[in-house]
Amino acid sequence: MKGLSLMKLSCAEAASLCTKAEYREANLKEKLRLKLHIYLCRTCKDYQHNNKKLSSLLKKANLKSCSSSEKENFRKKMNNGNSQASQEQKKH
Amino acid sequence: MEENVLNPDKWVDRYADYLFNYTIVRVNDREVANDIISETFLAGLNSMKNFKGDATERTWLISILKRKIIDHYRRINSGKGQAEVKMNFPNSEDEGDWLEEKVADLSDMTAEDRMENTELGLAILECLDQLNEKQAQIFKMKTIDGIDTETICNEFNISPSNLWVIIHRARTSLAKCLEKNWF
Ligand SMILES: [Zn+2]
Repeated sequence: MKGLSLMKLSCAEAASLCTKAEYREANLKEKLRLKLHIYLCRTCKDYQHNNKKLSSLLKKANLKSCSSSEKENFRKKMNNGNSQASQEQKKH
Repeated sequence: MEENVLNPDKWVDRYADYLFNYTIVRVNDREVANDIISETFLAGLNSMKNFKGDATERTWLISILKRKIIDHYRRINSGKGQAEVKMNFPNSEDEGDWLEEKVADLSDMTAEDRMENTELGLAILECLDQLNEKQAQIFKMKTIDGIDTETICNEFNISPSNLWVIIHRARTSLAKCLEKNWF
């Protein structure tokens, strides 16, 4: 039973594994199971191809993000600015 | 059709990364970029009554951001020698145009080459907006910030296999969205 489940991989499992592999987090056993599945399954082979393409686009885009402290700073400045503005309004 | 409304409480969560990626490539300095973004959010807050709802919130914020970037260019230019300023601004009437062009430069480049990296990045961020919030957050943490799987799993209280399913779904939607809007 265990041996059978080791060989058999559903397409859904293969998709997850394929994604995991894109982030270089699949272990050797997982990589082999994926390879075998993709050898036998056209759909997942195509999926892997597109997934690799997406990875290279993501790499190319070189997205950056603001840290949570930077975001906190934006919020603080907005709040300060807002309370200043409403005080101004009260004065008028 | 959803109506365009302003939701300033959500601005930082929704648009900070987008505005940051837009700005950093144009000013090349993290601190300067952050100052400009702060100014943009504040200016947005103070001119909410001018929002007519004919653009999306994001587009509206970007139009404010562009003006703030122009202001920034203007500031650094006025700090330079008089001769150079004269060269850059033949007369005051053209000043605005010249600066507008300088800011627009990058988007013009993508008209020729749509794959220009930043524009691609912004398109990716726009597509990620269409995912549900948790899915988008997990995807960004993993893909943009490179945070390790265990940390993300702990934060969201999910199993690693959950995480990979979520990221797989996010990537599938992202690929579809990019294909629809970009290729
Ligand atoms: Zn399959």
